[in-house]
Amino acid sequence: MTTAIAYATAVEALAKASPDGDAELPLRPGQLPRAELLEAYHPDAGAQARVPLRIGPNRGDPCHPALARIVEGNALIGDVDLAALAPTSTDVLVIGGGGAGAAAALAARTAGAKVTIASKLRIGDSNTVMAEGGIQAAVGEDDSLQRHFDDTIKGGHNVADPALVAQLVGDGPDVIRWLIGLGVGFDLAGNATGGGRLMRKRAGGTTAARILSHKDFTGLEIMRVVREAVELDSGITVLNRAPAVELLSDDHGRCAGAVLYDTDHRTFQLVHAAAVVLATGGAGRLHLTGFATSNHYGATADGLALAYRIGARLREVDSFQYHPTGVAHPPHLVGQLISEAARSVGAKLVNGLGERFIDELAPRDVVTAAILRECAEGRGIERDGSVGVFLDTPHLLKDRPELLEKQLVSLKHLADRCKVDPYEEPLMVYPTLHYQNGGVAIDRNCATSVEGLYCAGEVAGGIHGRNRLMGNALLDIFVFGRRAGIAAARQVQAPRDQHRIGLGHVQRWQRERMRAGITDQLLSPVLYPDYGNFELRSHMAAGREG
Amino acid sequence: MTRLNSVLLNPRIGVGADLAAWRKAGGGEGLARALERPEDIIPTLRAADLRGMGGAGFPTWRKWTATADAPGDEKYVVCNGNEDEPGTFKDCYLLHRTPHQVIEGALIAAAAVRAATVVFYINPHQTDGIEAMRRAVAQWAGDSQIAALERLIGQPMRLTVTPSSGRYIGGEESAVVRWLNGSFPFPRRKPPFPFEQGVNDKPTLINNTETLSNISHILKNGADWYRDLGIGGASGTKLFSLSGDVLEPGLYELPMGTSLQELIFTHGGGMLGGRAFKAVFTGGPSNTLLTARDLDVALDFDSVRARQSRLGTGAMIVISEGTSVVRKVAEYVEFFANGSCGQCPPCKCGTFQMSRLLDRIATGRGTEADRRALRHLCQILPGSGRCALIDGAVTVVQSSLQTFPEEYAAPASR
Repeated sequence: MTTAIAYATAVEALAKASPDGDAELPLRPGQLPRAELLEAYHPDAGAQARVPLRIGPNRGDPCHPALARIVEGNALIGDVDLAALAPTSTDVLVIGGGGAGAAAALAARTAGAKVTIASKLRIGDSNTVMAEGGIQAAVGEDDSLQRHFDDTIKGGHNVADPALVAQLVGDGPDVIRWLIGLGVGFDLAGNATGGGRLMRKRAGGTTAARILSHKDFTGLEIMRVVREAVELDSGITVLNRAPAVELLSDDHGRCAGAVLYDTDHRTFQLVHAAAVVLATGGAGRLHLTGFATSNHYGATADGLALAYRIGARLREVDSFQYHPTGVAHPPHLVGQLISEAARSVGAKLVNGLGERFIDELAPRDVVTAAILRECAEGRGIERDGSVGVFLDTPHLLKDRPELLEKQLVSLKHLADRCKVDPYEEPLMVYPTLHYQNGGVAIDRNCATSVEGLYCAGEVAGGIHGRNRLMGNALLDIFVFGRRAGIAAARQVQAPRDQHRIGLGHVQRWQRERMRAGITDQLLSPVLYPDYGNFELRSHMAAGREG
Repeated sequence: MTRLNSVLLNPRIGVGADLAAWRKAGGGEGLARALERPEDIIPTLRAADLRGMGGAGFPTWRKWTATADAPGDEKYVVCNGNEDEPGTFKDCYLLHRTPHQVIEGALIAAAAVRAATVVFYINPHQTDGIEAMRRAVAQWAGDSQIAALERLIGQPMRLTVTPSSGRYIGGEESAVVRWLNGSFPFPRRKPPFPFEQGVNDKPTLINNTETLSNISHILKNGADWYRDLGIGGASGTKLFSLSGDVLEPGLYELPMGTSLQELIFTHGGGMLGGRAFKAVFTGGPSNTLLTARDLDVALDFDSVRARQSRLGTGAMIVISEGTSVVRKVAEYVEFFANGSCGQCPPCKCGTFQMSRLLDRIATGRGTEADRRALRHLCQILPGSGRCALIDGAVTVVQSSLQTFPEEYAAPASR
């Protein structure tokens, strides 16, 4: 049982330690080397953090144990469920209604394809809207694609795919232009009305000011714009509340559409498509290793399960990003994200002894490990059973009170909901499960190892290595979302010989499960968090009774 | 004790296209016996009760006798390797892995009927098989056994590997003849049978690849040995192409007369995911469905026929409770509609209409009128084609309609 310092004591310690005026709280001397810190305290480290996958294209590769259960799971449906279903046909089926999905749909449309976009919740309900800090793109005169590339590779601990990173940074400026063209209003430097330059901020782990933002709800603003673009396009059919329960394959093993579950009518819906873009996001709502999450309700690794079952290779599925500053108190808001924007404008992290224990602009995994270390070693702060460290807003706002209204709008809202006055009282923070670093392996055009299946956004891996930099996820979803859409639209033109569409891959999968002796009857994708209490068959049956 | 893969699929003889390796594994002895006493070949096959393995189960010796007795000294032997039915994948293995087993059987046939030309007629999609056969055939040039055969027949031997049209219908005997005569493989009415009027209008013996593969073993080991391989009254072994909802699909050689239960549960590893057994589409898949009460059936031509079905090519497409019968039937009938050569209007239009109706029913759009129309078609179509394609298509539809009527019912009434 680790101990922690009582909240009141910690507040006193903070007040005592805070220097006057502009001076910053000095960093505690004797910092642990970063590698050592990560090895000892990061949730990805240690023997419990991974198991080898037993079946599938990545057999033997490490995977988070809870995620392994899901990707090795059995299918929710069988061939008989397809009986008496009339398929609808589209050129490109996009699964997922976040930023990547919307970008893929728009790009596929521009490339001339007929598009259907299916979302488990509603289009726009996604992690995209939660991206507060901003979007990275090397658009500054003091910046370069090379620097952005180097920062991303280094931030990802040198395991990211250099070709993907090159594509990410190379497409960056064009994506910004595309977004501005659609109507995104990025913050401008200086006189905002004078048509000035884009305002750029510095992100953790980067060598240049490269973050473009819209106040501190950049993702929400961008999603608002792209969602409108999708909904206004008559060539895009939007299916809300229609989770994909299985992909469809043809007799050559190619991906040929998906089976959706229409939650309104409680029936399956068969969509045949020449190409499928999976943009289903990440896995935060699985609450891996017991962590709270910053993710939205739908982030349950559906895409990983679907892609793996049809034969797509995964990568780095044992690597997750825990955002250092999730809310730690009050309990009903635990896990909610406090944007990096606060730290990037100068807010410090302080432990229960009033010590500043880490460089706040170090990469996220390092800051996370440092916070976990403080709490593990008894220097955390305890309040009503929750443990965390302080994000010292009072000291930050003392000299720059306007920050809260101008740049940290979301922080202000969140503090209001926490019933904390950020001018007076520090926020309590603790790492929160934030991002799936790995995912489905893709090439520069988002093609997976399964023909006809493309992946974009958080479900894809290889772009961020084992750690993602702030602002690169927003860029990632639009760079690769657009590329996936274009590549999928091109697939439409490739002639296909006669083939039958069904669940042949599920049959192969079940064979593999039996041979490997897997008896776990967990069905995947899980679609909703376990506290959602959703069970497909009883949901369907309830509809029939009603 | 079961004898799995004891003859044709014996791993010892899966030597590929190397003739020396084939002989080292015991090959060539059957042909040697045949050349010693050619007059004993057909009586031996008769005593062995070898049947046509392409699906008909017709006694092989009768075909051979008819061809041998046909007048003229220009005769042909054709090895039928057109194999194209869904769920059948036995000939491709034999041609690719044991080409000399096939060739030796065909040479013995040539000796028995005195045919100087042997044609290996192979589906062009079986590129591995064609390649292996071409390499294997080349190795027989100038061989002493070929020379002995030429002395027996009194003519120079010619062995050719010919790609077939690749169409399903191209496996029908009269279609084989048409194609080899340079025309589109339209089947025709019989008689005349190929042994009367075959390639170049000359007597022609056409046997399935698996049938020919058995010949050298029977000549080498004797008819009694072959009969003893079977279970009960059946003779020899059969290749089963097992697929569908079983754990271990694949090609299995088992004694003729092995039970369906044993094939699926002992050799096929049982049902996939432990689901309940529902039915089997047997070789074609153009036959009456076997269901759970048929699990005890002995898989030989006569026993399966006693259950109003057919063993066919030995293809066993197993489906479990999790698989839709109607979807499968719709798939197969679409295959037949695609495969219809179109010369007989009832087949051309009948398979198309059945496929259209089945597609509507399988996708939940079928009306009562559609179901009625399907039943009517099943009554009026049989026997209306020059070949058995339309009959096979009707059989599988009718059988599924009778056995699983609930799957054809409207979705709301289920």
